Amino acid sequence: MTVATVKQESFHGLTPGKVGIWWFLASEIMIFGGLLASFVAFRLGRPEWGEAAEHLNLAIAMTNTVILLTSSLTVALAIAALERGDQAGMRRHLGLTILLGLAFLGMKGVEYTGEIRAGYVPWSGTFWSYYYTMTGLHGLHVLGGIVANALLWATTGWRARSPHRLELAGLYWHFVDVVWIFLFPLLYLA
Amino acid sequence: MSAHTGSTNYVAVWAWLLVLMAAGFAASFLPGTRGVAVAAIFAVAVVKALLVAAYFMHLRVEPRVIYAIALVPVAIVLVLILALLPDFAAHH
Repeated sequence: MTVATVKQESFHGLTPGKVGIWWFLASEIMIFGGLLASFVAFRLGRPEWGEAAEHLNLAIAMTNTVILLTSSLTVALAIAALERGDQAGMRRHLGLTILLGLAFLGMKGVEYTGEIRAGYVPWSGTFWSYYYTMTGLHGLHVLGGIVANALLWATTGWRARSPHRLELAGLYWHFVDVVWIFLFPLLYLA
Repeated sequence: MSAHTGSTNYVAVWAWLLVLMAAGFAASFLPGTRGVAVAAIFAVAVVKALLVAAYFMHLRVEPRVIYAIALVPVAIVLVLILALLPDFAAHH
């Protein structure tokens, strides 16, 4: 089988793929930024939302924060391993990243179940609508990142041989982490 | 940028992120005005996000055009938040 290779045009280390992923992340900042901005404006005028937030599961959210921060480390280590030509190290760290992503979603599922069982559903009030919309949208992004990482992991042989693809997937994964860094204090601590 | 990332101590960055997470949690118990605690909580969150962006996302070593792409929407979001504040002030 012949494999056609396309040379990536690079300008000061910038490839079209990197510009593209950052452009995509910029649009993502606007999606989450709009939600965050309107939530902040609502929250400032509604001290009673603090009482609603007390029904959230802080222990699970803290655990999920540790999980997501650690998954950012493992994907960074996966890229570093690939840059050294260490395919096995890359697979190990990327596999760990995928498992941590799944653990995050699993924990979120447990948390949602507890909240729904306690009677707090998306139509229980504006706070709960925001809570399920923001964490649900973030959860979908985590799922998307898991799929992208799993595709790279499953096709390690040829698709992920260049660190470039993995670096782009890593940028997206870190962005998902950054969103959680703001969602966590906004919903659980403030 | 691949060529510059080998020297980053990712484990140290991760350890700092965990320390900051604990600091943010501790800040939520600060006595006194709630506003001070909230400001501390979000200051910690901003530092965490900057650490991830600078070291894990390699913004530290990226060309300026990447900064431009990343910072414009951040600025727009800040303007959006500030634009909504007068509405809050008028009603409360």
